[in-house]
Amino acid sequence: MKKTKPDPIQVSVLQRRLKSITEEMGLTLLRTTRSPILNEARDFVTGLYDAKGQMLEQTEYIPVLAFALQPACENVLRFFGDDIHPGDVILHNDVFSGGNQNNDVAVFKPIFHGRKLVAWAACKGHQADIGGAVRGGYNPEAREVWQEALRIPAVKIHERGKLRRDVWNLIFANIRLRIVEEDIKAQIGGCTVGERGFKQLIARFGERKLAGLIGHLFDSAEKMVRKEIQAIPDGLYRGESWAFYDGVTDGTKMKINLAVTIRGEAVTFDFSGSSAQTPGFVNAPYSATASALLLTFLMLIKPDIPHNAGILRPIRIVNPEGSFLNARFPAATTFGNSITGPTSDAIFRAFSLALPKMVTAGWNRFLGFAVSGHDPRHNAPYVDILFLSLKGGSGGTWMADGYDHIGLINCAGGILAQDYEMFEIHDPHFLIKHEYLTDSAGAGRWRGGLGVETEFVMRGEDATGVAFGDGVEEEARAFGFFGGKPGWKNAITLKFPDGKERPVKTKEIVRGIPAGTVFRQLAGGGGGYGEPFERPIDRVLEDVRNGVISAEAARRDYGVAIDPDSLVLQKDATEAIRKAKA
Amino acid sequence: MGFKIGIDVGGTFTDFLLMARGGRTSVHKELSTPADPSNAVMAGLAALAQRQSIPFERFVREIERIVHGTTVTTNAVLTGNAARTGLLTTRGFRDALQMRRGVREEMYDNRYHPPAPIVPRYLRLPVTERVDAGGAIVAPLAAADVAAAIERFRSGGVEAVAICFLHSHANRRNEAEAARLVREALPEVYVSVSSEVLPQVRFYERTSTTVLNAGVGPILSRYLRSLTRKLDELRYRGTLLIMQSNGGVASPQAVARLAAMTLLSGPAAAPAAGLACMAAQRERSFITVDMGGTSFDAALVRNGAPAVTTSGTVNRYALALPSMEINTVGAGGGSIAWIDDGGLLHMGPQSAGADPGPACYGRGGVEPTCTDANLVLGYLCAEFFAGGRIRLDVRAAERAIRDRIAKPLGMDIVEAAHGMYHVINVNMASAIREISVQKGYDPREFPLICAGGAGPIHGAAIAAELGIRRILMPRESSIFCASGMLRTDLKHDYVRSCAGALPAGGGDSGRIHELLREMQAEARVTLKGEGIALRRQRLRCSMDLRYLGQYHEVNVEVPEQAVRKSDWNAVRRRFHEQHDRLYGYSLREEGTTVELLNLRLGAIGLTAKPRLERRARASASPRHALKGTRLAYLPGDRKFGKVPVYDGDRLGHGNRLAGPAILESVNTSIVVPTGYRAEYDALGNCILTT
Repeated sequence: MKKTKPDPIQVSVLQRRLKSITEEMGLTLLRTTRSPILNEARDFVTGLYDAKGQMLEQTEYIPVLAFALQPACENVLRFFGDDIHPGDVILHNDVFSGGNQNNDVAVFKPIFHGRKLVAWAACKGHQADIGGAVRGGYNPEAREVWQEALRIPAVKIHERGKLRRDVWNLIFANIRLRIVEEDIKAQIGGCTVGERGFKQLIARFGERKLAGLIGHLFDSAEKMVRKEIQAIPDGLYRGESWAFYDGVTDGTKMKINLAVTIRGEAVTFDFSGSSAQTPGFVNAPYSATASALLLTFLMLIKPDIPHNAGILRPIRIVNPEGSFLNARFPAATTFGNSITGPTSDAIFRAFSLALPKMVTAGWNRFLGFAVSGHDPRHNAPYVDILFLSLKGGSGGTWMADGYDHIGLINCAGGILAQDYEMFEIHDPHFLIKHEYLTDSAGAGRWRGGLGVETEFVMRGEDATGVAFGDGVEEEARAFGFFGGKPGWKNAITLKFPDGKERPVKTKEIVRGIPAGTVFRQLAGGGGGYGEPFERPIDRVLEDVRNGVISAEAARRDYGVAIDPDSLVLQKDATEAIRKAKA
Repeated sequence: MGFKIGIDVGGTFTDFLLMARGGRTSVHKELSTPADPSNAVMAGLAALAQRQSIPFERFVREIERIVHGTTVTTNAVLTGNAARTGLLTTRGFRDALQMRRGVREEMYDNRYHPPAPIVPRYLRLPVTERVDAGGAIVAPLAAADVAAAIERFRSGGVEAVAICFLHSHANRRNEAEAARLVREALPEVYVSVSSEVLPQVRFYERTSTTVLNAGVGPILSRYLRSLTRKLDELRYRGTLLIMQSNGGVASPQAVARLAAMTLLSGPAAAPAAGLACMAAQRERSFITVDMGGTSFDAALVRNGAPAVTTSGTVNRYALALPSMEINTVGAGGGSIAWIDDGGLLHMGPQSAGADPGPACYGRGGVEPTCTDANLVLGYLCAEFFAGGRIRLDVRAAERAIRDRIAKPLGMDIVEAAHGMYHVINVNMASAIREISVQKGYDPREFPLICAGGAGPIHGAAIAAELGIRRILMPRESSIFCASGMLRTDLKHDYVRSCAGALPAGGGDSGRIHELLREMQAEARVTLKGEGIALRRQRLRCSMDLRYLGQYHEVNVEVPEQAVRKSDWNAVRRRFHEQHDRLYGYSLREEGTTVELLNLRLGAIGLTAKPRLERRARASASPRHALKGTRLAYLPGDRKFGKVPVYDGDRLGHGNRLAGPAILESVNTSIVVPTGYRAEYDALGNCILTT
């Protein structure tokens, strides 16, 4: 008998339908969650998984969550085995059993057809608090996981449709903020929306036919990725990069050692030989490193390939336990997502020979500063992660400048900077400046994206700031590629009312910041790509006229002579400089 | 006297609907003339005059009202041809426009460029001045900075200046002073001031909207001058009204002041057209879709009120003026079919446009399009497309589908064509889901109005995807928006930010009343200037409210009585209810503070609506209109079948028939699938039910 081939039209239709179900789940969370990090910064993901926990389709608003749910879903299945029933709801955050960050709490809901488990609906979101020693979860002083968070291994909060009140109370008795309870309820609501949508698909196609179509959906995504890998020349490609300061000992640096092997249609990423885990929180759980790797890899291939488990099939990851990229229990790991920048750097470097036109130069590394304190205007506490000040530039690439003010590669432009007016209405802060930082972009035929400069007066009382990030060291500047120059580095300083200035370390809690302190941050630019002297003269002139490159830098880095007062191009001088270089 | 004409200038065609006294209508389509769109407008008017057998000049003098929708401004922004514009802004913040809050819409595409800002950085000039969040002037305006900027603008040859200062929503003094200086020094320049355009909190949105307004102001003014001059030359005596994004119309003078109000006006008349269609059904809730050559617009109307949004975008820049909430996706007759590397079939969003157009146009197009599939499936007639004006080449359509789709997928041409038909229907159904399911409405509770040249071929199939069982194909399907324009009222929207807690019932509300009075006065003056008598003016007040600490606000209508009595508790109750309906919860019991962000005033000037022509009921039999039979693909049977074809222009009130059938008119073709019944109502609309 001829083997039945699934109808490609129906597969197309199914993929579109699955996508719209996860989008609907996402909109439900946007509407119903209370914490701004969920409904404003959109730090969550919604997805559907098959009976084995394989990702069918997902809607994420920031890339670092693109593959954050599947490992946890597989763990839930392993743990509960056949003890999974209609009406169950399972909670999970544990980074030592598939979680990617303590604050990211996942809700899983099994979907049944009759008595048969056929799929899962899941939502994972970054919670405003998760217990531990420090409100909000970022604790540079942590030395083990319990100082960071409440661990939630796979646990049923609903069993056969009934809320387990005792378990629920145990969990929320250990979390500071009540809105977290509300947000978890919203995530359960999102899963119910997903379950309803999936059941409609079963009604429409029939369970067996649906399973066949899903198989074909995986195959089709796999085929697309294999074709992309096939196009890369076989070989072993190495890339390394560094993360700086472990938050415990000044001057420390951690190495990422990456070997990429391309053989035919398959790729192996091997992190063996990377630095050992650190005593502080600068460690990643396995899932965080895998997410960082996958989001960077997705940037190297066609952007329109559907994101389902099929694309993982040709990819093998070797990441031995005990390194700071796969820390051993009970390490502190909250910084893990922030190692995405250094990991991406290593990947771009490794692929620079294999896919020279797809890699970007280095992205500005993430440096965040979360402020909390007392707002005298409302006599109430306030808290803010300063998204507006931390968004630097991305690296240039073949045929495109880096993206200005895009921010960390984990989010790739998915998280918005605060609006200035809303920022001043919400927080006791008075802005002085927020503009592109001149000469911050690494020079190149395609220059890096611009960084920004932010200055504001802190008028909150008894404020505390938690710094977490990277990129202040000379070596941590966003690197240039193929003759391109590095971007400008990060810096945060506090100028106290008594006039004293204090630079802030990249991992540090600053307590007792007085009202009237001026906060200043430079978020650096991305690295440049290609010889700067090959950049068209009119593009350089345009940047100088716009004041984002100084006349001095134009002459030095690009060999373009421009009169600094009139901003008129000096043609002869330019020709002479460029000729001398050639 | 007595003609009313709706004119909709689109990318390919300019559509005309003429309505004579008594409701008799006449339809015309003219090829658009993008260089000066008024040429097509005048050519179309001439053609209509000829059709009425009246000399052109006399015809023009007998026109009572022209309602005109135009994409002049939209196209200028999309093609990078906005006017040369300068921006004056608060020192320290000159990049907010270009930054767009740091968003990259395509997260995995490292070659995805940001859109070029309408104002380059060297023309974004900072001045020293500062207002704080509470509206206090922290630093007065440095007049010398403004003077220096004026010189730069002058030497830079700008045609328009936008002015947007931090927190001018709370205190407009510095901004107004700067505007005065610029207007004095540069009298010929179009000046767009944020506290006049959109005095509303959120700096990026306000700056972007003010800049867009500046960038299109000179262009719209120029176009309107050209059009009115041409009409004046013909001694036109009627009124000219311009369609706005908010679904209302305004005088040329009013839109010239707020040119950005035309930026999203393209499909904005669809809800009004839908309401008119539904008059015979006595229904005021429905979904309207309009499928043209390249795009598909979907809107939802509930209880006669279309949804309005203030988070629109043009070329990825924010446009925060109120506009009809219309979801536009790239799906139309020209949508191109393609196969990805994984072997999956996609339709659009790329379109073959009008040139070369679908393969079957025989103008050199080789890509298979939706129209090609419809032809192969027998839903279109090769000899009767556009009333026979374009002869379609079936062989060319088959060739394109075979080479690009059928062969690579290993299926026959008909299977491939039906796959294309199915996939594009699913895409359009998804677009409808976004404005219904995702906003909390069940599409099955709404009839679907399916318009546009290509719409009625797909209407039943799209509806089936959504579980909708009643579909209405309007009589004027191919010029749907033009027909809506004749039924719109004058509409102006005003906003003032007034950030703070909503006062307790009867609490201190002096500021609220002061701002409301200010907006009311402005509205009355504008409407009066447009010749609207007081008794035809309607003013509606609303508030943008949210719970303390929330980021997103909810717009709540405020009854007049609540305003009069300062009964804010009534407003608070409405807010709790609305929040609960929209988001599934309220914080009434928790006693959370309700914050007021903006006050809004909608001002409506009621226009006289032309009477709809109702026809007397004929006998039920459609036999007189039967033209013959044709082979057409029947998806239920997965094969071709003989399908009766009727002349749609000869079908009318009371005619009834059962599917399968095809009802062909000059500009559109209705597919009635097996299992559906079709019936014509008194207004000449065709209603399908199953």
